[in-house]
Amino acid sequence: MTSERQAITLQGVTKAFPLGDGRALEVLNIPALELPAGSYTVLKGPSGSGKTTLLNLMAGVATPSSGKIRLDGTDLFALLESDRDRFRAEHVGYIFQTFNLLAPFTALENVLLAMLFASKLPKREQRRRAAAMLSTLGLGGRLSHRPHQLSRGEQQRVAIARALVNDPPVILADEPCASLDPKTARAVLGEFLALCREARKTLLVVSHEELAVQGADEVLDMAAINHAVGASS
Amino acid sequence: MTLFAVALKYLRGRLMASLLTACSVALGVALILSIFLLTHGIRDSFIRGTTDFNLLVGAKGSPTQLVLNVIFRTDVPPPNIPYTVFEQLQDDPRVEVAVPAMLGDAYQGFRYVATTAAYFQPFPWRRKAFSLATGSFPRADSPDQPAYEALLGAEVARRTGLTPGDRFYSGEEMAEYPLTVAGILRPTRGADDRTIFISLASFWEMNEISREMTVKPLTAVLVRPTRLSDVPSLHREFNVGSETQAVIPSSVLLSIFNLLGLVEAVLQVILTIVALVVLLFLFVALYSATLQRRREIATMRALGARRLSILLIILLESWTITLVGGILGLGGGYGLALVGARVIAEGGGVVLHPPVLTPLQPLLLAGAVGLGTLAGLIPAVLAYRTEVSDNLAPLS
Repeated sequence: MTSERQAITLQGVTKAFPLGDGRALEVLNIPALELPAGSYTVLKGPSGSGKTTLLNLMAGVATPSSGKIRLDGTDLFALLESDRDRFRAEHVGYIFQTFNLLAPFTALENVLLAMLFASKLPKREQRRRAAAMLSTLGLGGRLSHRPHQLSRGEQQRVAIARALVNDPPVILADEPCASLDPKTARAVLGEFLALCREARKTLLVVSHEELAVQGADEVLDMAAINHAVGASS
Repeated sequence: MTLFAVALKYLRGRLMASLLTACSVALGVALILSIFLLTHGIRDSFIRGTTDFNLLVGAKGSPTQLVLNVIFRTDVPPPNIPYTVFEQLQDDPRVEVAVPAMLGDAYQGFRYVATTAAYFQPFPWRRKAFSLATGSFPRADSPDQPAYEALLGAEVARRTGLTPGDRFYSGEEMAEYPLTVAGILRPTRGADDRTIFISLASFWEMNEISREMTVKPLTAVLVRPTRLSDVPSLHREFNVGSETQAVIPSSVLLSIFNLLGLVEAVLQVILTIVALVVLLFLFVALYSATLQRRREIATMRALGARRLSILLIILLESWTITLVGGILGLGGGYGLALVGARVIAEGGGVVLHPPVLTPLQPLLLAGAVGLGTLAGLIPAVLAYRTEVSDNLAPLS
């Protein structure tokens, strides 16, 4: 285990929110956590246990109250915010529970948008790659459709294409199939996991799906890794 | 995809609101530009149309009315003075040139001015030059044998379609005295373009009252003194009498300009309020649009967009709206000024020629974009400060 290259490392990471009465609510306290490069980890835990907060911290979109988070060897919060944004665009693919597609943009444009902030590829190449990624996910005929013209399963496929298009080494997925019906969820999750495994991505998925748990290298329970004490003065 | 493409997408996503906002900017710019072009056009028209003569002698009454009617062909004609006033001035050694003028009715809205050939003479001191586009100046005639010939201003010829040799008259009662077009003047860009010149003899004979008068009437006499130092004494002399007044056209013009300045000051206040209303409208539109898409902004940030990129997207939206609105406004403003100029001219007012390009147009466009920056700044900062983790979840 120690000889493995670690894709994500957390050391003494805490996250607390001020309550306004001088006290703070600690929602996350993880003394140590390592996710090896290329591993597939499933994160489980009840609602409110801090799963999304943990993903946000790993993606660098939320700041820890204390501790260090290293992603691909880089101390995320030692970077300037603008550098962290760039780093995130290039190194992290983030999939949201509710897809978070941008309404005025077509499927292709939603994927291209992720490349705007990361890729230095020529525009034509960006377009080719985004279209290819959508075709891989069976959306070759839906490139010019806007989110409201797509089914929920198709919307989530677009979100997956958006997360993968920059070829980031780390993929974070927050209950990617929670808002899909069981049949679609199984199909989408199956395709998603196959794509990530094939590309040897470091994958952290918040999910309670049996299919997600089945192929995982490790299943983490928030109750076991999170030592948060709740409200404190 | 570029940040500008993202901004355009968002504008197209709320097309109606974007168009309405651009229209409000266009209306504001059009209003400011048209009012500027019209007020400056009126001022320029007065300056351009003013006479080379230093003194105007007419009947006692309003000096402004006399100048507006005799020089600019607006307002109603003042009462008449006897022809002897002209003779007296002509014989005065202090007077180099005296030109009689009689203003009468109108043909299709274009006023008749009866005068002599001296009105068109190219004296060395004249800035104004009259030249013929076609035909000839009316023949010299005498009261017992009027020529009934007319010289048309350029605008009269253009609008009536009359050409040399054509005969015309206004109203059945004048059918007995048809006028023949002798010539057409080149444009002077002044009130003379909208005037039909005839001889005094023709005018007196056409008018049944003056026909019977032994001492013929005049509206005014345009006077050029031999020396400028003679202006005060002539001015005083003709003002002392109970029947006549002498007016210095430039001083009347000054009082008109003072009045115009006052109107401009009021308009400036109104236009400032218009600009503020547009600013507020733009701000509300951008602010509510930004509030509505905080989740999308958070998503873009999660995808790696920097805060500055987000700020720039909002500002690009604002700049696009104001630029499109500004350009539409410049076109609309010029169109409004043209319509306004025509309405003023047809109302018997001064003739305006709004310029296509003035230093104001680029300034207005820059001002509109500046206004857009101001209106977009708070929404842009709001977007800039959007906390990603707090806004990723759907709005409840």
